[in-house]
Amino acid sequence: MSDARDMLCDTARAVLRGADDIAPVEEVGFALLLVAEGQGGVGGDWGDANAVLHIAGMLAPDIPVADVILSGLGDVSMPHRAAATVSLMAGAMGQALALSIDHVNTRQQFGRPLGKFQAVQQSLAVMACEVAAVDAAAAAMAARLDASGFDADAAVFEIAAAKLRANRAVGVVTSIAHQVHGAIGFTEEYDLRRVTIPLMRWRGEHGNDARWAQALGRQVASFGGRGLWENLTARAG
Amino acid sequence: MQSFALYPFAPPGDVAALRADLRAWLAEHQPHDDVVKRANCWASFDPDFSRALGAAGYVGMTLPAIYGGGDRHPLERYVVIEELLAAGAPVGAHWIADRQTGPLILRYGSEEQRERYLPGIAKGELYACIGLSEPGAGSDLAAVRTSARETAEGWRINGQKIWTTGAHFSHIMLALVRTEGGSERNAGLSQLLIDLDTPGITIRPIIDMAGNHDFNEVFFDDALVPHGALVGTRGQGWKQVTAELGLERSGPERYLSSHALLIALIDAAGADPEPAIAGLIGKLTAEMWTLRQLSMSTAAKLAAGEDPMVEASVVKELGNAFEQDMPRRVRAIVDCAWDDDADLARLLRALLIASPSFSLRGGTREVIRGIIARGLGLR
Ligand SMILES: Cc1cc2nc3c(=O)[nH]c(=O)nc-3n(C[C@H](O)[C@H](O)[C@H](O)COP(=O)(O)OP(=O)(O)OC[C@H]3O[C@@H](n4cnc5c(N)ncnc54)[C@H](O)[C@@H]3O)c2cc1C
Repeated sequence: MSDARDMLCDTARAVLRGADDIAPVEEVGFALLLVAEGQGGVGGDWGDANAVLHIAGMLAPDIPVADVILSGLGDVSMPHRAAATVSLMAGAMGQALALSIDHVNTRQQFGRPLGKFQAVQQSLAVMACEVAAVDAAAAAMAARLDASGFDADAAVFEIAAAKLRANRAVGVVTSIAHQVHGAIGFTEEYDLRRVTIPLMRWRGEHGNDARWAQALGRQVASFGGRGLWENLTARAG
Repeated sequence: MQSFALYPFAPPGDVAALRADLRAWLAEHQPHDDVVKRANCWASFDPDFSRALGAAGYVGMTLPAIYGGGDRHPLERYVVIEELLAAGAPVGAHWIADRQTGPLILRYGSEEQRERYLPGIAKGELYACIGLSEPGAGSDLAAVRTSARETAEGWRINGQKIWTTGAHFSHIMLALVRTEGGSERNAGLSQLLIDLDTPGITIRPIIDMAGNHDFNEVFFDDALVPHGALVGTRGQGWKQVTAELGLERSGPERYLSSHALLIALIDAAGADPEPAIAGLIGKLTAEMWTLRQLSMSTAAKLAAGEDPMVEASVVKELGNAFEQDMPRRVRAIVDCAWDDDADLARLLRALLIASPSFSLRGGTREVIRGIIARGLGLR
């Protein structure tokens, strides 16, 4: 990761931790993140946006950070919004995993931490795989958007694939996170719902599974069987 | 391992040309196999193809030129194997030697072993098998009991290996054996490189549920191999095997074994697929594309000299699940008789039957999840 991105992420963490409205986010200038330097912007790339949105998904999923960042594009399409949502989802899932690991290491039953039970370990391994998959999908999608100069039409294959993969992970991640938490995770006070409810919401926003599966499936059908592989390998990233 | 950082996959040189050359070569040399042979193709044995592939420089690519290798970057080899798998090429004969035995001999082997075995591996002519599992040592590999006793003439081996893929056509076995009498668990184990024509070795076929002869049981009855058969350090077998398994888990074969089925599904669906089938193709593509990113990233990390043990296990876990799920999901949607002889139906049948093995071979699902859980700090 570049130094500039590290600094950006530090800023994002500082303003987003505990944030409950959008004003501080606007103040640090995230609206200029994707605006070219020549036009008075920060000149960041989609990888930067992905990194900031990942943090937003972890720390402040209810603040419309994606809208602020995307406003810099001027012409924002539905696939752009889907792409931004994937990054939020990756962050929220990472947070659900972190909370779950923390919880099973602390909560004791039968005289041991829950995390010492093999059934719990295996569930969390499954969850970690889903989180890794969504992280990888978000990063690869961001790389493609950068290679295409933020052209969502040129990157629609990757956006569709990443949103579909993230949508699929929602079911697994939310159910395992809540299961290992027990009743405490079902309370208003506890932090888990702060990420799991947004995940449930995001699955249906900017293209649910059915929407993107049709779009991607029809695109792939037009490539033909062998054409799918030729297309995959010819695309950047 | 809380966040999966994508490692840039950047092989040196002109990757597009590497792909184009290989595709052109395949167009000329890939046998016109039945479509079923193109699925799970790293179990398809075809020595003529392996030899031709070796002669063209696509086997032993990362081995040094002094041993007959190609001196190529590991990520160039990655590109070549993903192309071979996506094309369904019959790479089974040399697969294990190229993937793990060759690199292991290069890393831990003596100069004599390198000179003796690596050139044949790089030619695609020398085949290897993996002697880990035993009747009493499956998931619990540290329970290995096959023993090798050092004598004046060499190592005397007694015991039994089982489930050994390709032992019947392989020239050598890289075996994990107990070299220290009275040792327990993962101490006192060593790796031996055993020529399978050594007297005292008996190989018996085990027919799998698909009716194929891929794996075997191998008996050692006072088989004598030279002192020079020891690979690496005596007593360090456990550590060396663990390194070997890392090479085995994250490759593109963990998500491309069933690619022939996806191709057949797309071709059968045509340019204007009905919605249920379009939706399935879309979902399968999304998962396959994601797995490719994960696998490439892990390969890049491995090539950079890091040890992505957990990431490799993530690739295997998700890849196995994807490949077991794919034929089931196709079966649920595509209407065809079990004994239909269309390509799609035959592939589907073959993969439904083969797929239970995917989460057994190379470490069971439960073992792999255990490794991931350790990466999460839970054990
Ligand atoms: C097609 C195929 C090819 C193979 N090729 C080779 C080869 O070339 N060389 C070789 O050495 N081996 C090979 N194997 C063997 C393979 O490595 C073993 O099958 C595997 O390690 C599991 O051992 P097992 O079959 O004895 O099952 P077991 O160890 O008896 O396990 C049975 C089930 O119990 C579960 N289990 C076991 N212990 C635990 C635990 N502590 N906690 C939770 N669950 C547990 C397992 O995950 C599994 O689901 C091959 C297997 C197959 C199917």
